[in-house]
Amino acid sequence: MPELILKPGTLKELWLLPPAPGGSRKYLAGGTDLVSGSNAGMDASQVWVDISDIKELKGIRETKNSLIIGSGVKISELSGSGLISRWLPALRSAIPHFASPSLRNMATIGGNAATASPCADGVCALCAERADVWLELGGKKRKIALQNFFSGPKKTVLRRDELITAFEVPKWKHAGVYLKLGPRAYFGIAKASVAVALELDGEKVRSASITLASVSPVPLMAVKTANYLKGRVLNYDNARTAAALVKTEVSPITDARSEAAYRREMSGVLLERALNSVILTGRMSQVAG
Amino acid sequence: MANLSYVGKSLPRKDALIKATGRAKYAADQEFSGMLYAAAVRCPKPRIKILSISDSKARRVPGYVTLVTYKDVKGVNKWPMVVNDYPFLPEKEARFQGETVALAVADTQNAAKKAARLIELEYKELPFIEDPLKSLEKKSIKLHGDDNIFAKFIIKKGDPDKAIKEAYAVVEDEFTTNYQVHAYLETQGVVAVPESDGGLTIYSSTQCPFYVLDGVAAAASLGYHKVKVIQTVTGGGFGGKEDVPALVAAHAALCALKTGRPVKLIYDRKEDFNSMSKRHPSWSRVTYAADKSGKITGCVVKYVLDGGAYATLSPIVLWRGAVHSAGPYKIDNIRIEAYAAATNKVPCGAFRGFGQPQICFAQESLVDELAHKLKIDPVELRMKNILRTGDKTATGQTIGDSCGLEELLETVKKKSGWDIRKAEGLMPKSKGDIARGMGVSVAYYGVGLGAKGRYLDRAGAYVNIYKDATVGVNVGNAEIGQGALTVLSQICAETLNAPYENIKLEEVDTSKVSDSGPTVASRTTLMSGNAIIEAAAPMRANIFKTAFNLLLAKGAEGSKPMSACHGVFSIGEVSVTFAEVVKECWNLRMKMGEQGWYVSPHTYYNMGDGQGDAYVTYSYSADVAEVEVDLKTGVTRVIKICAAYDVGRIINPRLAEGQAQGGILQGMSWAVYENLLYKNGIMLNPNFTDYVMATTSDKPEYDITFIEKPYAEGPYKAKGMGEVPLIGVAPAIANAVRNASGVRVKSVPILPEKVWGGLKKK
Repeated sequence: MPELILKPGTLKELWLLPPAPGGSRKYLAGGTDLVSGSNAGMDASQVWVDISDIKELKGIRETKNSLIIGSGVKISELSGSGLISRWLPALRSAIPHFASPSLRNMATIGGNAATASPCADGVCALCAERADVWLELGGKKRKIALQNFFSGPKKTVLRRDELITAFEVPKWKHAGVYLKLGPRAYFGIAKASVAVALELDGEKVRSASITLASVSPVPLMAVKTANYLKGRVLNYDNARTAAALVKTEVSPITDARSEAAYRREMSGVLLERALNSVILTGRMSQVAG
Repeated sequence: MANLSYVGKSLPRKDALIKATGRAKYAADQEFSGMLYAAAVRCPKPRIKILSISDSKARRVPGYVTLVTYKDVKGVNKWPMVVNDYPFLPEKEARFQGETVALAVADTQNAAKKAARLIELEYKELPFIEDPLKSLEKKSIKLHGDDNIFAKFIIKKGDPDKAIKEAYAVVEDEFTTNYQVHAYLETQGVVAVPESDGGLTIYSSTQCPFYVLDGVAAAASLGYHKVKVIQTVTGGGFGGKEDVPALVAAHAALCALKTGRPVKLIYDRKEDFNSMSKRHPSWSRVTYAADKSGKITGCVVKYVLDGGAYATLSPIVLWRGAVHSAGPYKIDNIRIEAYAAATNKVPCGAFRGFGQPQICFAQESLVDELAHKLKIDPVELRMKNILRTGDKTATGQTIGDSCGLEELLETVKKKSGWDIRKAEGLMPKSKGDIARGMGVSVAYYGVGLGAKGRYLDRAGAYVNIYKDATVGVNVGNAEIGQGALTVLSQICAETLNAPYENIKLEEVDTSKVSDSGPTVASRTTLMSGNAIIEAAAPMRANIFKTAFNLLLAKGAEGSKPMSACHGVFSIGEVSVTFAEVVKECWNLRMKMGEQGWYVSPHTYYNMGDGQGDAYVTYSYSADVAEVEVDLKTGVTRVIKICAAYDVGRIINPRLAEGQAQGGILQGMSWAVYENLLYKNGIMLNPNFTDYVMATTSDKPEYDITFIEKPYAEGPYKAKGMGEVPLIGVAPAIANAVRNASGVRVKSVPILPEKVWGGLKKK
């Protein structure tokens, strides 16, 4: 733990703070990665900036065409939100897979992105939901597609001291589902997971976005597979073909958590099961609009 | 046993309140004025030549006090263990990543950690060995002696080669198991306090305070009378606090002696993973031969344990594993060869089951394959061959009266619905991608230290009845979460007819009771329980006699029998309380404090052919596991474990149930999840993020039965309980996975990747 923790109450106060000594600022939000990393001797910063009380980072609100989710929103707040339930079925479906109840009470969705772990459940689902991310540095704002935010494992396009302030997610009629293959019944890091968002026109797929976690260096948009489904009838045969296709898009590795060949195969199994579950539930999970 | 007041009852735990309310004082909670903190400097590579250690940078850390190295070891720089090969602090060579090479001492924990990171260790990397089988090869580099063998055992009986040659069916295969991490909630921790006479008081989280005494006295070169070890409330052990707390305590002691101030040394989780004891990984090749009727006629086992960098407890872990490695079967022709090999990885030692779960997984998996080959039901095949009273074990020991294995197997067969499944044609049930299956295993467990540890198999107790009729009890075995304080209090209360609430078991203090050996081998109820009974016996005689006289004085009829229960003595309608009787005993100046000493019955083992009465008695288990296997992902979900145990008489049914559930879950977790990995001699996942263990969400349904076969020598006819429930779980699950999916996984953990690999090949 550092000697000093600074705690601004507003973004304005934040940008008035002097730069951190000896490197970029360490932002403390939920603390689930930073504090445990520090305890393990992986963080030697002298100062942390605690952003957990910055009011502009809080809350979930609605505009005409999108939802704005503050980066400081806790994962457990997402699960209780009517707006999320109504508009973001893939994200909603991902939350029970996210760590444990106690960690969901602490962790923020902004932190989930900033950590840039290829296995992040919340971020994977948000990518499938076609989210953008708002960034801010010294009062200057910019917006980029969330899928372009990650540049490698634990790496992002964030500039020095730049902060994630919010996610902007379009409101569109779609069905969504998130399936994860973890190492045990719950509270584990994904060996592979898949988020699917499908815009349906009767039995046909008008558009699809498919994101996979833990099978590439960053959350992977399975563009080829999504394009295959576009315009096709959603049925078991096409689901099987899509599953075969997605296995060619992923680039998993072997590490302490699983094996590359297994992860590749499971990407297909999970996608097929995800698509089949949408078929089975018909339009029950589709957003009413 | 109907007349007992306290034994056999589910009385509340003595330590429940302090643990539930957070008032229990663990090692890290001990505070002393002027206390300093130590942090270890650890070996960064699997094997190094140490060139120099310098604290020139660390000295700049505010609060830094000193560096402690091998030069500060006062005695001989060898930790006294089974084989004295482990230096307290290495001088020239460190042999595994994570080994403590020095300690930084500072006035806060943070400063000590920071200073430790800044200690400059100059070293040269040396060639190292990761694989125990390679270690045993002739051409390998030598880490220990001229063969890298920490220990070797041979057990021979009959002519197994002939049995195999003449057999109707032979099965043979190789099996491996991986590490298991104890994952006690409380990491290793100790405070060493220097005393004014030059001695030390050690507050240690340990299950073996007398091993800590041995270690500290040796490192500090102090007489035992100048070292007092007090066990602090210990947050779990499972074997992981058997030997290694002595090393941790010796380090703290050296820091305390050098600075003249109390020193606290608390491990963080990563260094605990990296450097502390583990369950040994194993490799084995097992062969079984049988005749047409299914009688097992021969068994050959080669068993290798990966001992790690130093011998620690490997020799005795290996011995227990070897003795039990043919399984709980009556087999005339046996050859067992067992080796513990040196590698440059974390030294492995004691873990619940102590060398048995690994080989039990192998041989019970293979017995199932034998059943398939013979086309005999796996339960039936076992029923034909299991040990019963009068049968001889692999070491030629005759099984005594306390043997319920047959009943256990009958029980799990019935309660699991095994026959119903059989009536359905032995086929696993499938639904979509999910296949359901069942598997069985049987196991036995030699209670206590056995012949290889018989010199340590004694225990003391001091029972002191105060004037107010409360009772203080000192024993040498420790509470580590298993319920020893409670069970031993029940035994004491029962023996004296004292109210249970009056009994206080003290924390172990090595100055208050003679060396009682370790708290291991499921021996505490048996050994300390008997020591308490022995200590209490003369006082019991006095108390009962005094009670009788008091009752007569109160007008009771002396010709009627006196009853003694729940702390009250009565004849007919006349009664006196335990408190009244004790008061009278004190008035009569009777001796109200007594020492007890219990020595285990004789055991014997011949190092030549491995024959002898290896253990005083055996506990038994039978398990049926029911699993679901996802045929697309290979994921196994353990649905139910139906288990039955014979551990002698049960002293506390609720605690026994708790031990059983905990043992099953820990066994299941090892069987399907836990996977500690090394790559190039470096531990890859020393944390709970990537070292995956079962959670409560993974817990199977438990169906637990106790069949109480009284053991005449045991306290109130009890045997040993703690380790028994873990041993047979993994093979029962492996056999169930085979039944459900057709895939035989021959290595633990039974990961989805392995099942999936097997399914792909089909």
